[in-house]
Amino acid sequence: MSRLAVEPGSTVAYHSGDWRNQRPLYRDKWPPCGQTCPAEEDIQAWLALASDRQWQAAWRTLTERNPLPAVMGRVCYHPCERSCNRGHLDTAVNIHGVERYLGDLALKQGWQHQRISDQQQTQRVAVVGAGPAGLSCAFQLARRGYPVTIFDAQSSPGGTLSSGIPEYRLPKAVLRGEIDAILALGIELKLDTRIGIDISAETLCDEFAAVFLAVGALQPRIYPDDGYGGHSVMSGVEFLRRINAGEGLSLPKQVAVIGGGNTAIDAARCARRLGAEVTLVCSQDPHGSHGGHPGAEMPASLDEVVQAEAEGVSLLYRTGVRRLVRSGAHLSGVETARVDQIHDRQGRFNPLLFEGTEEFLPAGLAIFAIGQEVDWQGLEALIEPQAPGVFIGGDAAGQPRFAATAVGSGYQAAMSIIAFLTGTPSQYQHHDKAEVTFRDIKPEYYPKQARHEGVVKASPSLDFDERVAGFDTDDALAEASRCLSCGVCFECDNCWHFCPDAAVIKKDGGYAVDYDYCKGCGICAAECPCGHIDMEREAD
Amino acid sequence: MRQLLEGSRAVAEAVRLCRPQVIAAYPITPQTHIIEHLAQFVADGELSARLINAESEFGAASVVLGAVAGGTRAFTASASQGLLLMTEVLYNIAGLRLPLVMVCANRAVGAPINIFSDHQDSMSVRDAGWVQLYVESNQEAVDTIIQAYRIAEACELPVMVCMDGFFLTHTFEPVAIPEQAAVDEFLPPFQFARALDPARPMTLGGGSEPDNYLEYRAGHHQAMEQAGEVVAAMDTEFSGQFGRGGYGGLVEPYCLEGAETVMVTLGSTMGAVRDVVDRLRADGMAVGALRLRCFRPFPAQVITQQLASAARIVVLEKAISAGAGGIVAGELRAALYQAGMSAPVDGVIGGLGGRDLTPAVIEAIFRRAAAGNASAACRFADLNADAVPSTQES
Amino acid sequence: MDTRDAHRHNVLTSGHRACSGCGEAMAARMVTDLIGPEAIYVNATGCLQVFTTHNQQSAWQAPWIHSVFANAAAVASGVEAALRARGENTPVIVQAGDGGTFDIGLQCLSGMIERGHDVLFVCYDNEAYMNTGVQRSSSTPHAVRTTTTPPGRVSEGKHQLKKDLISIVAAHRMPYAATATVAYFPDLKAKVEKAMSIKGPRFLHVLSPCPLGWDHDAGLSVTVARLAVETGLFPLIEMEYGAVSGVVRLARQRPVEEYLKLQGRFKHLFTGKGGAEEVRHLQALADTNIRRYGLLDADTEWDTNEASQAQRHGRGSYAAPGKEGAS
Repeated sequence: MSRLAVEPGSTVAYHSGDWRNQRPLYRDKWPPCGQTCPAEEDIQAWLALASDRQWQAAWRTLTERNPLPAVMGRVCYHPCERSCNRGHLDTAVNIHGVERYLGDLALKQGWQHQRISDQQQTQRVAVVGAGPAGLSCAFQLARRGYPVTIFDAQSSPGGTLSSGIPEYRLPKAVLRGEIDAILALGIELKLDTRIGIDISAETLCDEFAAVFLAVGALQPRIYPDDGYGGHSVMSGVEFLRRINAGEGLSLPKQVAVIGGGNTAIDAARCARRLGAEVTLVCSQDPHGSHGGHPGAEMPASLDEVVQAEAEGVSLLYRTGVRRLVRSGAHLSGVETARVDQIHDRQGRFNPLLFEGTEEFLPAGLAIFAIGQEVDWQGLEALIEPQAPGVFIGGDAAGQPRFAATAVGSGYQAAMSIIAFLTGTPSQYQHHDKAEVTFRDIKPEYYPKQARHEGVVKASPSLDFDERVAGFDTDDALAEASRCLSCGVCFECDNCWHFCPDAAVIKKDGGYAVDYDYCKGCGICAAECPCGHIDMEREAD
Repeated sequence: MRQLLEGSRAVAEAVRLCRPQVIAAYPITPQTHIIEHLAQFVADGELSARLINAESEFGAASVVLGAVAGGTRAFTASASQGLLLMTEVLYNIAGLRLPLVMVCANRAVGAPINIFSDHQDSMSVRDAGWVQLYVESNQEAVDTIIQAYRIAEACELPVMVCMDGFFLTHTFEPVAIPEQAAVDEFLPPFQFARALDPARPMTLGGGSEPDNYLEYRAGHHQAMEQAGEVVAAMDTEFSGQFGRGGYGGLVEPYCLEGAETVMVTLGSTMGAVRDVVDRLRADGMAVGALRLRCFRPFPAQVITQQLASAARIVVLEKAISAGAGGIVAGELRAALYQAGMSAPVDGVIGGLGGRDLTPAVIEAIFRRAAAGNASAACRFADLNADAVPSTQES
Repeated sequence: MDTRDAHRHNVLTSGHRACSGCGEAMAARMVTDLIGPEAIYVNATGCLQVFTTHNQQSAWQAPWIHSVFANAAAVASGVEAALRARGENTPVIVQAGDGGTFDIGLQCLSGMIERGHDVLFVCYDNEAYMNTGVQRSSSTPHAVRTTTTPPGRVSEGKHQLKKDLISIVAAHRMPYAATATVAYFPDLKAKVEKAMSIKGPRFLHVLSPCPLGWDHDAGLSVTVARLAVETGLFPLIEMEYGAVSGVVRLARQRPVEEYLKLQGRFKHLFTGKGGAEEVRHLQALADTNIRRYGLLDADTEWDTNEASQAQRHGRGSYAAPGKEGAS
């Protein structure tokens, strides 16, 4: 080139990166949704795939940790949405709506789960309980080549999902569909089989290299029983089991349901559907009256309470039942009284009732849903003491009693079982990436968009048809696209556009900083919408 | 065949023949007729060029800078205030080594404002790095413009053709305008290796620092010195092809054989000087004259050769460096001194602001020089001493 | 030539000597990559010219020329005339700072527009003569501290208001003039593309924050530009043949303090009584802009939310090497 002109692009010989004292780093973070999901789903990842219309890939990513999305999309209490950073911007992403859409789509399309490993293991594992914990554990083991047999005392699988949750919240066909897809991995299911009766605990230990006890907590807490028989007084668990088993129950005109949890609400709404006038007697206060303080407020999910009221269930808050009132064998009602304190000095649930506040509530049936315990009958040999190779999870393990937690515990148990069987450290992958809060999000880059909801039937019809419809494809796409992708790059190109020094290089599927030229201004980090970029002081 | 043409018209014809594709100018007396004629040529389709009526001379010079950088031949003209206004750009064009030709219709520089001819304008920009040629006649203007494009494009230097305002621009003389085919043969199409072109991107006009600027300037100076040879060669080639001209290349001597007193001058003044030399030689005075055709580069070697046998020299110039004296006289004295020559040099300033340099005045200058009086560092011809404002005046 | 990035040309590539966080480097990088290397770039003297062609190196990967401070528009006129005379349609682009546009360059700019040259003139406005050390220009807003309008015992900074250059340019009744800034890349992109689709003189006024001269954190250059718009102090408008043809509506109006407090060049307004009055004045100027252009209620193509929305997989960006046009 003539000395009277300068070579184009020759400044690349000058490494302006020497100037900086801080450098940007692309770092994936763990968003709050994934942090709070009891099943530890990589929610951001499958929402991203869904927003790209990669539905099957999204379903596969989701089912890595949760093989029951159609179920969970309907029944999970979705703590992910409470922690969703989008809630600080406008409203949380309707994660459960998209989850349900993916689960329903998988059922419609007949998608099959894939094995992780083609190797066939020989050590057999027994899972006691075909509920969400047991199914999740069996799923994770079977994908990795382990022969699994699930035992369940009931005639149909699903545990509380089947026996406790009514059809209008979770259609049996949906539950059965997802269970069948799990079983299709080659899992053996033995129904109507109770350990200690149909098969002994010792046989279990002989024939199986490991045992997972996921028997749930289906033993109802003791309620007043004055000896007159179960047709006028029963537990919520029993009531729901019979309804879900398809028994045609004939109810008296008035029914009282005692309890404040989801079992109580489910029982109350089922009783309404069977034609009764229903009053729910709950010792706690309504939602929101104590700023969300657990224990003081009714624990049942607010959605369910709202729908119960819309369906005509009367709610009596801060009220307890002192005794049953009979005329002869016939139950004429319950005696209620106002609750003084809900918890005693030791913090146990132990409502104290005010004298002089008694009232008579007429009812021909009193359903008590005041808590459940684990029924260990038949399993004592395995747990007293807990033998090596015996693992416990789900509601039976004394953790928060949510279906999602059960699913999560099934995964953890499977990893522990494999570690036990192989003598290697557990492969349980606990995400240890940094958290990302709303302070790391740049709201300027996310215009407000209304949240999509599944359509609720306009006027509550008192049948067992599903109350809330699922998303159509457009809604699922729109909602998945509302995800802020907290802490995880979604290739918005901001850093690539803004770098004044062209020191951000675009590659397929992401970006890289060319540290030869990066002056460390920090604009990339400041303008990354999702907090993916960290600035670190340069080492001297 | 010769036609009687106004000087400006002749210049416009010459420019047209050189096929510039971009012309930009801002009107200033006495350049206006040049650009008006060019505008008419363009309007009549006789010249296929964009004629850009710029918003100022600064703009006009910038437009032609861009045009040449963009790879086309271009032309502009100015004078006086306008030339000074474009000074920053003149330096820039030269520093970028862009081949451009312009005409300076020499005019005095205000204040006081004066529209008539002297050389103050082009002399003021003598350091800008342009080749500067001074023509004596309208024919020489025509021929020199055509030569100028060859010089500029061969040397990658801009060339300023200086012609006296009014005396040449507005005077009708018989001029031979060449045929287009002949000019095309002399002047091939413009090719510029550093033209701005996406196919061969380059950066022109980038920053320069102490460690490289000196080399640029040295290179420019060397190119200017070498341009002198090209100026001479083009004059020879032109006269060979066109059968006329041959203006001496860098300098044009007149009756130097046996001349003891030699007048050095530039531009159209030479016409009257020739007549006076003829008359004085007929009277037996050993006088002669030398016209500087090329002032930049300053042809020191040729000048000293031509003046080798002169006993005394008088410079008659139409510009002054106030507080120092004559510009040409100063450079001439330096050249003589450098060559070890010691002939006295009379520095005479005349003709400023269009004041006529009549044969009588010129004769008086010759006689005074030839009389052997002490040579003046700087004196004014035809000065009305009583009318000179003094600083003590209230 | 530097080919590190397969997805854009890097017409203005790395290794230049701009300050860390330079808004002008960012803006020029964006604009020239949107236009691509098949164009002639004519640069006025100023920061951009200095930091890209220092020490016998050049950051430009396209044909580029710098002449003097005031004449970029005139040089571009000449380049354009030359190209069009040869029948070539190569775009001609001017790049100048506010100095080379509002003040010393105004005459040549006016001439270029008035004569109808087919040139796109881009002004990167950092609101002072930054290259020479932060002296005021007629683009410097009211009450700003510069080295030639310093606040002192009897002064609150620059007395005059920011020159309304876009109106002056538009008053030439020219085809297209628009304001834009780095914070709203999709808007800038749309305006560059629109300008490039039109023949004749076109003008883009791009607000380009300067961390040094505006005295803010280098990482805040985009944030500051965004606030300039969202306060109403820098309206995003388009003018065609003298009339306003489009605005970007403000999704919300932020008080000017939010913008002023990030920048040391306004610091003096928060330390005395006289400063408070100037802050009110600046707020009134912002409110006037909003009323004048209907920035809060205009029926427009998009608003500041939509113009900055981050999208998955970007918005399609620049002309990529080997590909025609922007993807």
